[in-house]
Parts: sequence; structure tokens; C-alpha cells
Amino acid sequence: MSVYNLERLNFLIVDDNKHMRALVKSILHALGVKSCLEASDGADAFKELRHFPADIIICDWNMSPLDGLDFVRLVRTGKDSPNPFVPIIMLTGHTEMNRVLEARDSGVHEFLAKPISAKKLYSRVRSIIERPREFVRAGMYFGPDRRRAASSNYKGSERRKQDSEGGGDGELSQAEVEALLST
Amino acid sequence: MADEEKPKIITPPNTLKSKVKTGGPGAVDEAALERAEAVIEGLTGSYLEWVQDDLKKLQAAFDQFVADNNAENLDKIFQISHDIKGQGGSFGYKLMTAVGNELCRFIEKTETVTPQTAEAIRLHVETLKIIIGRDLKGDGGKEGEALLVGLQQVSDKLLEG
Repeated sequence: MSVYNLERLNFLIVDDNKHMRALVKSILHALGVKSCLEASDGADAFKELRHFPADIIICDWNMSPLDGLDFVRLVRTGKDSPNPFVPIIMLTGHTEMNRVLEARDSGVHEFLAKPISAKKLYSRVRSIIERPREFVRAGMYFGPDRRRAASSNYKGSERRKQDSEGGGDGELSQAEVEALLST
Repeated sequence: MADEEKPKIITPPNTLKSKVKTGGPGAVDEAALERAEAVIEGLTGSYLEWVQDDLKKLQAAFDQFVADNNAENLDKIFQISHDIKGQGGSFGYKLMTAVGNELCRFIEKTETVTPQTAEAIRLHVETLKIIIGRDLKGDGGKEGEALLVGLQQVSDKLLEG
């Protein structure tokens, strides 16, 4: 496993649930991150971005008035966006296939299924570090290239393990999400 | 294809490269990950406090739903159970995630609200309370499996009918 020092990175955590923000922040601090800023919805986060130089954004989906997808689109295509290229991890309990593809098409880099763990969160951060993505402007879309190379870290046993942790009935495990996004 | 319609590829500046060092003190190795998992485990007491709040909110939303017999209140129940689903597993309460998920799926598939809809939701809410009340961690063993299978059977029967 590649070991990275994250202490110089600035993270923006966007979630309307203060407990989830506290959980994500605690994990990041335990991983050595020094700089975390919290925002409770998309509009608040966009405001914070004007003065906070976020290196990575971890963003929930369900928020109001501006939800996660609206926020991602605003960051990517808003005329006054301070950083259209910033890597974004979408953090959500919505793991049905159509939802995952919807998040991808809004311009997120990575998708992290709840419930989260330190290992799952770090694996998404590591993926952003190891696989810098080119951006594409095509029609209405502006965001990271949606055609990702298949993960070299993909392991069958890992998938089976995570399948047993995920929900059933149309829900995808984190490994299945990765496989879907790599096609 | 006109020029403006061709996909344009842009290589963004790689700002992370200069900020992230590999290895050395403070780098995230297996031990650091284990420590971070232990930090989450240490938050279990806090989780048990805030999940009680969620359960109270869930009960209040359910009571409102029954009183008003209004499908719009289902959305509030969905949002709270979605939060419960998203958090339980992080603290070892996988059954909270599984039952929260069952409740979300049931609400999503409900097209018409009937008296049985309220009964099914009530069973899910009671089950969530039982899991926390009896501190059923992990998958809850045989008791947990029985709870989950029972709920799935009730949901399936109601959705078929």
C-alpha cells in the first residue's frame, strides 16, 4: 500500500448532518490532516471556497437548499467558481446504479458509499492522489474524464468482503461502484 | 462535427503532487489506518447518543404520518432512516444500516399509502429501537437475522398486495 502524508492538504467537508461532519473530520485528523473546514450545505460550501483553498472536497448528496449534485455542478461550471478542477468525493448512502452514474455525470472524482470507515475514506483520497484526471468539456458536461482506467488495486476477495457489508436489492457495494465507474 | 462540438481535453494543474509526500513520519500506513479505525470506535458512545435523537425524530415523523395520513410525511421518515442507514455500520451497528436500508427501500417502492403501510413502517421503527435497546452489534447473530428476514417478508407481502 502506498503511504502518503496528508498533513499539508486542505479538506472541505460538506454535509448537512453535523454528526457525519464530525465523523469525517475525526477520521481525517486521525490520518494526519491538519486543515479541515466544514460547511452545512452546497451554498455555504461554495461561499467558503472563495477564501478556503480546498485541495479535496468531501461532499454529501442530500442537502438543502443546494444539494450535493447542484454544488458539484456549480463548482465545475459556475462562472464565478474559484476552483473548477478541485477533486470531489461524493459521500452518500445512495448506491443504486442510476444514482452512482448520476453523481459521475455531475462531475465528481470519486464515490464513497456510507457507512464509511477510515480505510474506505483513505482509499478514495489515495485514488485521487494516484490517478490525476484530465478534464473534459463535452456538450453540457465539464468535469473529470468519465472514462477511468480500471483500478489496479481491484481484488476479487475484497469485493466479496465488501459485498457482505453492503445492502442488497439494487444497492451496489463500494467495489461494485468502482467496477461500474471503471467501465 | 463542428469545432465547438468536439470534446475538449484539459489537463488541470496537479497541485496535490507538490503537497503530498510519500512515506516518512506522519504518512498513512497500516498502523495509522488502524489508529483511525480505533478513533471511530471511540466515538461509539457519541453515536449512541445521537442515534437516540434520530430514533426520537423518526418516531415523531411516524406519529405525524399516522395523524395526518399524508404521503408527504413519508419523505421525512425516509430522510431520517437514510441517515440511520448511513451511520450505523461505521460504529459496528450493521443491523441499523441494514434495517435503515430496508425502510428506505420500502418507502421508495410504496405507491399507495394504506393502513398496512403505517404498520410496516412501525415495525421497522420498532426494530431499529430494539437493535439499539439490546445493543445488537455486528449482524446481531441469529436474533438479528430473524429480525431482518421478518421485516423483509412483511415488506414484500405488502408491496405485492
